[in-house]
Amino acid sequence: MNDRKPRIGVFKYSCCAGCEFQLIFFQKHVLETLKAVDIVYCPMLQSGGVEDGPFDVALIEGTVTEDWQAAQLRKVRSVSKWVIPIGSCAVCGGVPAIKNTHEEYLVQNRVYADTAKVHSIRAHSVDQYIPVDGYIKGCPMGQRDLTEFVTSLLLGKRPDFLCSAVCVECKLEGNICVLVAYGWPCMGPVTNAGCGALCPSHDRACYGCWGPMPSANPRALANRFSKLGLTPEDVYRRFTEFGEPTKEWKAGQVRKWEVAQR
Amino acid sequence: MESRTGEEVGSRTKVEVNYFARVEGETALVVELDGEAFVQLRIFEPPRFFEGFLVGRKYDEVGDIVSRICGICPVSHMITAIQAVERATGIEVSDQTVTLRRLLCLSQIVASHLVHLYMLAMPDYYGCPGIVDMQERFGDRVQRLIRMKDVVNELTGIIGGRALHPVTVLPGGFTAIPKQQAFDDILEKLRSIQPGAAQVVHDVADFKVPDFHAACEHLALDVEHGYAINGGTIVSDKGLAVEIDQYDEHFHETEVPYAFAKKSVVGDQTMIRVGALARLNTKFDKLQDRTKSLAEEIGFSPPDDNPFHNNLAQSLEVVDGIEQCIQILEAVSFEDEELFARPEAGEGGAMTEAPRGLLYHWYKIDPLGVVEEANIVTPTSHNFLVIERDLKELVVQRRDLDPPTLRLLCEQLVRAYDPCFSCSVH
Repeated sequence: MNDRKPRIGVFKYSCCAGCEFQLIFFQKHVLETLKAVDIVYCPMLQSGGVEDGPFDVALIEGTVTEDWQAAQLRKVRSVSKWVIPIGSCAVCGGVPAIKNTHEEYLVQNRVYADTAKVHSIRAHSVDQYIPVDGYIKGCPMGQRDLTEFVTSLLLGKRPDFLCSAVCVECKLEGNICVLVAYGWPCMGPVTNAGCGALCPSHDRACYGCWGPMPSANPRALANRFSKLGLTPEDVYRRFTEFGEPTKEWKAGQVRKWEVAQR
Repeated sequence: MESRTGEEVGSRTKVEVNYFARVEGETALVVELDGEAFVQLRIFEPPRFFEGFLVGRKYDEVGDIVSRICGICPVSHMITAIQAVERATGIEVSDQTVTLRRLLCLSQIVASHLVHLYMLAMPDYYGCPGIVDMQERFGDRVQRLIRMKDVVNELTGIIGGRALHPVTVLPGGFTAIPKQQAFDDILEKLRSIQPGAAQVVHDVADFKVPDFHAACEHLALDVEHGYAINGGTIVSDKGLAVEIDQYDEHFHETEVPYAFAKKSVVGDQTMIRVGALARLNTKFDKLQDRTKSLAEEIGFSPPDDNPFHNNLAQSLEVVDGIEQCIQILEAVSFEDEELFARPEAGEGGAMTEAPRGLLYHWYKIDPLGVVEEANIVTPTSHNFLVIERDLKELVVQRRDLDPPTLRLLCEQLVRAYDPCFSCSVH
């Protein structure tokens, strides 16, 4: 980037808007950081703003669940140098994608008597629709990767995001392995690092909120869960709470109880 | 997408906001002033179907999943859901758990109010598009927000593991209890922001709001002793008293074709209002003495039916919430506890005071601990009807104003309610 301040656009789709808050209160240095960049579009932060770009960076929050969002994404892609999904919803589908484990009409009918006004499509991550230039993972998105992103942007280098498993951070924290020692169904071995092994550090098994790490081996972990005594339904639930539509965790998302019935 | 001016077409005056800025979630507002006024809050936040996909999930996942309904009040959704699950499955919790949950909720209410007051509402009153532009002229206020939000978030984080989407809260209790040293440190910090909290009240009292009155019934939770947050009886300033278990008999939700949020009404469409103003209107006497004297200083006294004063009520709750946290931390010491939960089949609901008002969760759980049915009613659903009614009265009273001023006034009114459209379309 040159001397001009980087122009940033923030777009929100189906999500809780928590990542936008993480961004706005970035490292408690809201002023210093936000002064170094030019946020040209972010409706939750400020009124006005230009949706049409051009942007140096477009940050996308939330799962894509309606077709106008997909159409807007393509437009955003064409006017942005970088497009970066922020938070699990945009990165891997996150919690809103749990609905993909059910039939669409069934889910809609449980909520609305009148579904004629609903135009919801299957929930998918941003990279299912457009090419992206990196991911800031986490639910809510992690401080470390966010810091890396902002400094990279200001220095004009490519960000180096974490892509190891939670286990790596868990060792650094000095925790006892809750999977091996206590037999808890911990998602740490297949989940992307970034949280600092928050759950194992608080006496709890990781539930995978950061989404899949790239080289995960879900089949091995799913088998291990079965040996621990989890039912096939329980294993399926562990692997579908975050990242239902991801190829990395696909081997853990087998509906084994239905396979047995066939 | 956003057009900054109200447009006039012939004799037809229109105020149209295509994408409402500085609120949580996505909504459009349409006001037409031709003959009888017409107001619609078109909440187009895409539905996420939480009540649909919670079916089939395990009872101990529910809290983690529903906290993702809202990025400003995740703790409220989490605690309400977990209390509802506990009610349904017969899981009991210790007094310490109840106290820790109260601390979590109080700290989150204060943080949420601060964000709303400074980041979402305040720019309107100083002609700024957002908080970034307020920095030059009002740097001290922005600093106050950051400092105070930081401390109360830290308290949430100490107990919950992190402030946004906590991880230690499960049915039956907490997975880990923080060390006493952490509580002692945060107690010091809370004391240090007390003067700032009083200043918040004065900052908000500086807002120039119209003298506008819109009568309705104010609903809040109440208990015999103390300021009810995580349970109690639903009471109103008009004499309503309903137990939470009887919620479904008195309240019902209706769908509208132009919004994905539902409207929640009591009985035959009584105008109800929930939130900070409603809480102060129903249980002002339960506030701390310090808060009451501050209220007197700025001239706030219930009953107050000016919806713009919800901002004032929130600022008073900031002072009160911090004071309450300090009192709890001074009086109680916490010990490690075993987390134990054995769920049975059943159904049950719980209600808490979220920052924006009454939040209700209800679940039916099967013998294996799997959710069979779920129902969630958010504060903004309870307020939906009254927001539209107030807007209508406001534009009728002020129809002579020029369109940009009227538009700003409409936006200020909606923001004063601190609506959360993400929550309302869950």
